[in-house]
Amino acid sequence: MENYIIEMLNITKKFPGIIANDNITLKLKKGEIHALLGENGAGKSTLMSVLFGLYQAEEGEIRKNGQVVKINNPNDANELGIGMVHQHFKLVEIFTVLENIILGVEPNTAGFLKKKEAREKVINLSEKYGLRVDPDELIEDITVGMQQRVEILKMLYRDNEILIFDEPTAVLTPQEIKEILQIMRDFAEEGKSILFITHKLNEIMEVADRCTVLRKGKCMGTVNINETSKEELSRMMVGRNITFSVHKDEVKTGDVTLSVKNLTVASKTHKNNAVKNVSFDVRGGEILCIAGIDGNGQTEFVNALTGLDKVSSGAIKLCGEDITKSSIRRRSILGMSHIPEDRHKYGLVLDYKLGQNLVLQRYWQKDFQKSGFIKFDAVREYAEKLIDEFDIRSSQGPDTIARSMSGGNQQKAIVAREIDKEPELLVAVQPTRGLDVGAIEYVHKQLVARRDAGKAVLLVSLELDEVMDVSDRILVMYEGEIVGELDPKIATVEELGLYMSGAKRDVVKEINDGGK
Amino acid sequence: MDTVYYLIQNMLPVAMPLLLVALGGMFSEIGGIVNIALEGIMLFGAFFATLFVYFVQDLGLSPQTVLLLGMLIAAAAGLIYSLLLSFAAVTMKADQVITGTSLNMLIPAVILLVSKMFFMSDGITTNMNFYIKEFPVLGKIPILGKMFFQRTYLTVFISLVFLIIAIIIFYKTKFGLRLRACGEHPQAADSVGINVTKMRYLGTSLSGIFGGIGGFFYCVGVMDGNVNGHTGVAGFGFLALAVMIFGQWKPIKIFFASLFFAFLRTLAYSVSLIPFLYNLGINQNYYKMMPYLATMIVLAFTSKKSRAPKAEGVPYDKAQR
Amino acid sequence: MGENNQVVKNKFNLKRITHSKGFSSLTSALIAILLGLLFGLIVMIFAKPDSAWAGFKFIVLGGFKRIGDVFYFATPILMTGLSVGFAYKIGLFNIGASGQYTMGMFFALYVGFMFDLPGNSHWIVAVLAGMLGGMLWGFIPGFFKAFLNVNEVITSIMFNYIGMYLVDMWVQGSSVMYVATKTRTNYLPTDVQIPSLGIKGSNVNYGIVLAIAIGIILYIVLEKTTFGYELKATGYNKFASEYAGMKGKRNTIITMLIAGGLAGLGGAFAILAPSGIAGSSMTYEPINIIAPAGFNGIAVALLGNSHPIGTIFSSIFISHIQRGGTLASLVGFKPEIIDVVISVIIYFSAFAAIVSTAFGGIIKKFVGKKKIDDNSKHNINEDSLVEKSDNNIKGAE
Repeated sequence: MENYIIEMLNITKKFPGIIANDNITLKLKKGEIHALLGENGAGKSTLMSVLFGLYQAEEGEIRKNGQVVKINNPNDANELGIGMVHQHFKLVEIFTVLENIILGVEPNTAGFLKKKEAREKVINLSEKYGLRVDPDELIEDITVGMQQRVEILKMLYRDNEILIFDEPTAVLTPQEIKEILQIMRDFAEEGKSILFITHKLNEIMEVADRCTVLRKGKCMGTVNINETSKEELSRMMVGRNITFSVHKDEVKTGDVTLSVKNLTVASKTHKNNAVKNVSFDVRGGEILCIAGIDGNGQTEFVNALTGLDKVSSGAIKLCGEDITKSSIRRRSILGMSHIPEDRHKYGLVLDYKLGQNLVLQRYWQKDFQKSGFIKFDAVREYAEKLIDEFDIRSSQGPDTIARSMSGGNQQKAIVAREIDKEPELLVAVQPTRGLDVGAIEYVHKQLVARRDAGKAVLLVSLELDEVMDVSDRILVMYEGEIVGELDPKIATVEELGLYMSGAKRDVVKEINDGGK
Repeated sequence: MDTVYYLIQNMLPVAMPLLLVALGGMFSEIGGIVNIALEGIMLFGAFFATLFVYFVQDLGLSPQTVLLLGMLIAAAAGLIYSLLLSFAAVTMKADQVITGTSLNMLIPAVILLVSKMFFMSDGITTNMNFYIKEFPVLGKIPILGKMFFQRTYLTVFISLVFLIIAIIIFYKTKFGLRLRACGEHPQAADSVGINVTKMRYLGTSLSGIFGGIGGFFYCVGVMDGNVNGHTGVAGFGFLALAVMIFGQWKPIKIFFASLFFAFLRTLAYSVSLIPFLYNLGINQNYYKMMPYLATMIVLAFTSKKSRAPKAEGVPYDKAQR
Repeated sequence: MGENNQVVKNKFNLKRITHSKGFSSLTSALIAILLGLLFGLIVMIFAKPDSAWAGFKFIVLGGFKRIGDVFYFATPILMTGLSVGFAYKIGLFNIGASGQYTMGMFFALYVGFMFDLPGNSHWIVAVLAGMLGGMLWGFIPGFFKAFLNVNEVITSIMFNYIGMYLVDMWVQGSSVMYVATKTRTNYLPTDVQIPSLGIKGSNVNYGIVLAIAIGIILYIVLEKTTFGYELKATGYNKFASEYAGMKGKRNTIITMLIAGGLAGLGGAFAILAPSGIAGSSMTYEPINIIAPAGFNGIAVALLGNSHPIGTIFSSIFISHIQRGGTLASLVGFKPEIIDVVISVIIYFSAFAAIVSTAFGGIIKKFVGKKKIDDNSKHNINEDSLVEKSDNNIKGAE
């Protein structure tokens, strides 16, 4: 009989109208790294939230060292020694590192904080595990990698021995990923038990001892890593073989569609410029990708390019016309489409119907209005056409409220709307974020189709695989500058990582900078 | 020099209600609840405290004792009234601005109703004199004595104590840290086991206590101990909101912001005593508009940069994490 | 709105109805009204137990005896209600309807007293002037919001006070307008008064007809035009509307201009109305009080779910209980009781939707249990599986 530190037995968790976890069993051994694999929406986060006390399961039980335990809130989890690094960090930006670490377990006398004591403990921990942080810096001033260290320190500060890592590598460079995987190994050696949520097979093969696979809320089984292969895991995860590469023909580039010259954009959060002196061209028939770690100026760059924010200096030309100061509408008319990073914030009016959303970029065109009155029939017809062509699934067709649609179909709606405009330049920012494998393939195909039609595509992505597979040319952005240009056919992921972390930059670029 | 003394002596009793109410607003908002009901909370506190004064004024208690007791009543009343906001905004996840507006509308109507039915007037008039002509010993200090310890109210000194308490809560306590976390990033607070609902109730309740007391101090320091359903607290609750924004949701800055607004208002109402302004012959109504206009000017210059608590005004939904 | 009902050709499908937006806003309005009236009754019982029931009956039923007056007094609050509701659809909370109303009233008064225009054109110009005054006062918070990032609620409140002091000062400063001995404005010449509809025992006039017509026009603008499409998109999601190339700042200002104009018209309709004594008009008392019509407009708009047509009905209802409240003074109550009732109604409207969803859920449980053959439901189930994880992303940002 094996000894398990944590057993989650027959867990069922329902949300209104959906079963997120259906009779799932997961057993964690002491001192092991146990991967939890599944697509977006497979129920991994829900299961971990149940273990961490954020949700309560309707059925099933949780045992620690064989004893049945009740976990009603994160405090209960903490008392059982369970800690979690959330995928999206739960850090208060205007607090210091120290304040974030102690929040919830503040050392105090009669309610008054005793920060001195806490600081010493934090410094000791960070030295012991090589997690370098300054306890007095504000979260908003430190890098994503450091923020993750703060999250890890939060667990260590609470003396947790069961550590949950929810997609910890999603926002890191390859080098940083190596670091975090090593840290996880160290923890395991020390006797801590680790649950590692991910959908990246390479990482599982590299670091995990065992792996439990979820698909659509159901448990597909637990396997020993040294007895399995990537292919088997991917079959368990998706239910079929995944094609790991995107099929593309040779590049046939045409004229310059977009030309960016010495673009500089001010930052809204700090005094330095967010985008510094960026220049490049995109031609018809190519997919140019801007790679980089989140927060290196990509968002500000895209906002300036698409007209959402102002440019400090420099020039942007689209199809020969200077659009540096043009309105968003003008850019759209000239042939720019934009699949935004945040589909809920920018891409959709969630309380509008699907049909209304599909004409969001063209409701003002003659086809859809007559002297200010909307042609409802034309809108409906057009919406039905797009729904059909792009296979957008919803419960009531054009009348479906966008909010009630699944994330994948919301994204399809946006892609359909932006592509059907037949743009000269398609700006796609993290177009596959949060989608499942099927939807990702679909979006990639659409991007390639635009390219094959001889139009320009500018892809901004944080996903290394996407960057390497889809693009024809890669520019790496680091701290607001373009630090290198790579050919995905030649370059390696490691090389890309060096550029992304700022460890390497091209001489060519520096000559350019020097000559300004 | 006399004018300066006069202005300071008159400014402080006006500044203190603004200070207290703005601090109250701060506690509510750093917890994540927009408290536009401050006006109503003030009036509710003022009404019950004044009612109390009305009933005890002939018992021969010393005015300062009555003031302290009235303050406790006002605090309790403000707290109770603020619970209506918490219930709607936190428990029922209602629109905080609408809820606040309804609470602001309710209380003047109640005062008018009660006063008209039972006192045959638009409000409650008391004849208790809370004014302190001169503090013993302290009042004799040259210059400072005349500025701060003559012709004043006890409310000034109580309020400063409350300011210090607020600063300590804000920066030095576990409660303050947790409350601010709830207003900035409630999901983060929840994930470390902090009960967001409870914290928000507490934050709003604190604003009820501060607001209620502030309302009573307004009656004492500005209205000579009376309360009236028609004029209410003359928009002081809203001015306090502006003071809070101007003070960037930080207690010490709020203190200076309240002094600034109080100074303007005092100036506006003292025109006839300041020969220079009086001789300009500008209609008094313009001066009355001054605090409101000043608010707008100040906000116009500060709002672009102002940083409100991030999760302010958004009901916390446990499922959305 | 309501379109769901038309799509389904079933004779009677209770589930569809309980699900539709219209039903839910109607039930929530009714729940809020019931709770408001109940609270009023409790206050009355505490205040004067003997005559509480008689007074309550006046409040609920009294208005039916004075239908003309109900419409007469519904006119201004319908306009302020439309003003608040219109702005709310675009995501702006126009608590400044009071100031806009007061400004509109003053502009109308000014044209009424100071201009000499022939025949019918005089009252029409006065009405338009009122609209202009309101627009001016609506523009300010719109401008502050759009260009200076100042919350429209604060600006509106401040300009309520500023407008009130200004108008009081201007009125008192004019010997033509102001009768100092009576602390009110003079009666307006009859040609500036809005023509009466000629209903016996009431001064109900063309104001109400115009107001209802404006409500219907607003409905058409919001629901049928690209302009309305833009404005509502801005209200639902200003980021998405900006992304789609709509001019958010311009729309904010236009919205506040329109909202201000509507409230201003309310002020004009109120002050230009003929009053009880033959030949006299309504008058204004400059006593440094913020016009309650603006705040009542908030109640009217909320009850009407910010829908122009709903607002027409809710304004009539509010006016109805106000008339009742006046009558309740016959048994010793003060009309302020109605303000109490109205504020309680607003309080509950703010979250009545949640209550009514629960209420609708109960009905559904009784009726819907037997029907499992609902295809669309199955669809949603699968979809929302992914949706859940998506929410996670959004919520955590």
